[in-house]
Amino acid sequence: MNIYERKFEQALKKIQKPARYIGNEFNSVHKENFDGLVKFAFCFPDVYEVGMSHLGMKILYHMMNERSDTVCERVFAPWVDMEEELRKNDIPLLSLESHRPVSDFDIVGFTLQYEMSYSNILNMLDLSGIPLKSSERGEDAPFVCAGGPCAYNGEPLADIIDFFILGEGEEVNNEIIDAFKEWKTSGEDRISYLERISKIEGVYVPSFYDVEYKNDGTIEEVKPNRSGVSEKIKKRIVKELDNSYILDKMIVPFMDIVHDRITLEIFRGCIRGCRFCQAGYLYRPVREHSVDKLIETAQKMIDNTGYEEMSLSSLSTSDFTCLQELVDRLLEITVDKRINLSLPSLRVDNFSMELMEKVQTVKKSGLTFAPEAGTQRLRDVINKNVLEEDLLRTAGIAFGGGYNRIKLYFMIGLPTETQEDVEGIADLAEKVIGIFYQIPKEIRKGRSVTVTVSTSSFVPKPFTPFQWEPQNRIEDLVSKQKLLKESIKTRNISYNWHQSHVSFLEAVFAKGDRRLGDVLIKAQKLGCRFDGWDEHFDYEKWLEAFSTCGVDPEFYAYRKIDHSEILPWDHIDIGVSKQFLMKEHDKAYEEKTTPSCREKCSGCGATSFGGGVCFE
Amino acid sequence: MSKWRLKFSKLGMGKYISHLDLLRTFTRSIHRADLPVRYSQGFNPHQLITFSLPLALGVTSETEFVDIDFEDTVSSDEILMRLNENLPPDIRILKVSQPVCKARDIVSARYIIDITSTDGVSKEEIESFFAQSNICATKKTKKGEKEINLKDFIKDVNVLSAKGNCFRLDALLSAGGEANIKPDIVTKKLEEFLNKGEFESVDIHRTEIFFDNDKKIESFC
Repeated sequence: MNIYERKFEQALKKIQKPARYIGNEFNSVHKENFDGLVKFAFCFPDVYEVGMSHLGMKILYHMMNERSDTVCERVFAPWVDMEEELRKNDIPLLSLESHRPVSDFDIVGFTLQYEMSYSNILNMLDLSGIPLKSSERGEDAPFVCAGGPCAYNGEPLADIIDFFILGEGEEVNNEIIDAFKEWKTSGEDRISYLERISKIEGVYVPSFYDVEYKNDGTIEEVKPNRSGVSEKIKKRIVKELDNSYILDKMIVPFMDIVHDRITLEIFRGCIRGCRFCQAGYLYRPVREHSVDKLIETAQKMIDNTGYEEMSLSSLSTSDFTCLQELVDRLLEITVDKRINLSLPSLRVDNFSMELMEKVQTVKKSGLTFAPEAGTQRLRDVINKNVLEEDLLRTAGIAFGGGYNRIKLYFMIGLPTETQEDVEGIADLAEKVIGIFYQIPKEIRKGRSVTVTVSTSSFVPKPFTPFQWEPQNRIEDLVSKQKLLKESIKTRNISYNWHQSHVSFLEAVFAKGDRRLGDVLIKAQKLGCRFDGWDEHFDYEKWLEAFSTCGVDPEFYAYRKIDHSEILPWDHIDIGVSKQFLMKEHDKAYEEKTTPSCREKCSGCGATSFGGGVCFE
Repeated sequence: MSKWRLKFSKLGMGKYISHLDLLRTFTRSIHRADLPVRYSQGFNPHQLITFSLPLALGVTSETEFVDIDFEDTVSSDEILMRLNENLPPDIRILKVSQPVCKARDIVSARYIIDITSTDGVSKEEIESFFAQSNICATKKTKKGEKEINLKDFIKDVNVLSAKGNCFRLDALLSAGGEANIKPDIVTKKLEEFLNKGEFESVDIHRTEIFFDNDKKIESFC
């Protein structure tokens, strides 16, 4: 037992949900001879029940722990009550498994799932006693790295993170551990390790690059500041999913977590190319697991976890080529064991009631679809490739099959959006309701129908055709929300929307550059954390942080960017070319759609990875 | 089909597993162990699992009981072995046997309580707390809060040791359906009484559960 453990254990008596901090769950890994191993602290910058629902962490945790020379332990952001206890009792942030201080680890890795978790990263470093700025870390300090979708433009964190890992971690995480062992025996200094790993494809060391700005605040140039460092950093992918590390067990938490079930990842990437969707470009090209491998993995997962529910995971699940076969064979191994199977991410254009009947044996309540925009014109602009007929036909199938609640997701503030597009959302929802009443009473279930309309505010993201687009101003978003609310005349439609201030900051940090590093540090000092949680988000504090640092957030979110401008993330190569994104951006304004990868190759550039859908 | 009574311990950080989470932990462990558990009838069938006496959050124990219905195809030895392979390390099955007594006859439970105070405490000070005829306390019930005399719930107490800042109590407290008290209410009131600031640490450990066997108090089994 270390010196903090006793105090830590007593602190748990004074807080809510102590099970967040105890570890020792079934399938968690505890290693002896800790000090003789490469020690990796996998940090999720949110609370336990959110972080434990994340598949990427589970994969890398078990993968790294399979190495006999490495120990990987988990760290989550302590909830505010626990943070107070830690600070009051001088307890540093501890890992979940061995309750050791995070600063005792060799590599401290954060996963960047959403921009609004950045303040938690800084707060966790602060609680660990690790200097926030990488330039201030001494020879004995851990290396702080980050991966995940937001790492592709990690520039706002460039002063804080020692190195970024771009792309899928199955191979590259092993390479940085190998390099760590070699470096450790070499006795070289801290910077030498960063130099060694900067040669690994997919590793980006931000301090090895200098950024120069023009007078107008835009970027003049980004270039390496030493020799042997490549101008562009290309993301890593696993070419053959079946042949890479396959997760066949999961930690089974004590407490209820957000996704408390088996997650079976069926493919990576998306064939669609919706122009607002960052994931659709970041994870190209589409690569599928074989059905045989999935069945084998599902069986092991069932045996190893004891979970009563299994969910298929991917972007746009209904695009899996052998979905019918997969579901049939999964049902053979789940039904007798009383395991429920669920299918998220269904598209309205290839929805099958037969499939839904099969998987949802008991509960028949709600279905969710995402038309994203209210008119066909705007759906063409964003390349959603969903027709009104598709949605109405699907609604008809669902109502006929006994459903009487449908949720519809839309975005407001999309490029080229007009008043008509906003009102179109209400029209579409009303048409869906009309479909319900067309169905004979003896077939449909219940006397009435509920359609829930949810809108989120469009956030332009890097590596999408809309990366050059300005975001709608907060007041415009609010008036559009108001317009939609007034356009809804039926009581069967309920409407909810997202806070626009959060979306604004999301845009700022998504498209931000290195000058935002000081703002993050200031915001943490002001007490910003858990910004993704409404009850903790404090917009005023953020505005104070921006003004103290002399940074105008509107520069990042509200500016229409010219195609010729150098973007803060231009030196990162996701395999999709900037030319392709420009072409898609132009096509959006022409209201022209682009076919999916399976219909026709549009030449995005992802063939360079030499695998996946490009070679089907 | 047979109902088995499993005696188990809940130690270490396992004390922070809540009652509801413990139920889920057992359900999933039984799944993993692939034991032939029986399910309830009805729209939402669940495994037939009943805990004899819930344990307060933050308390360790070496004598917990849970009754589980299994098909006859499995022996008690197999249940013990296969569950222990599939339970998290802080929960261990100690014994599997046929239930003898009924959970509704439970009347009391014994706790060993280790306390570290910020200041020295004498045995006499502690004993004078328990010697009071009336100890007013607030008890949370399903309907809200209720004023009680804590003395009615303390059946017996001994100061096993008191040395410097540390002391150890052996307390027999009311438990079960008739009258039940969480041990931390006792330590909280003691803390207030001693008036020496917040205790540095409090460790509570349940050692035994008792039931009323036709007016004779015997160990639950």
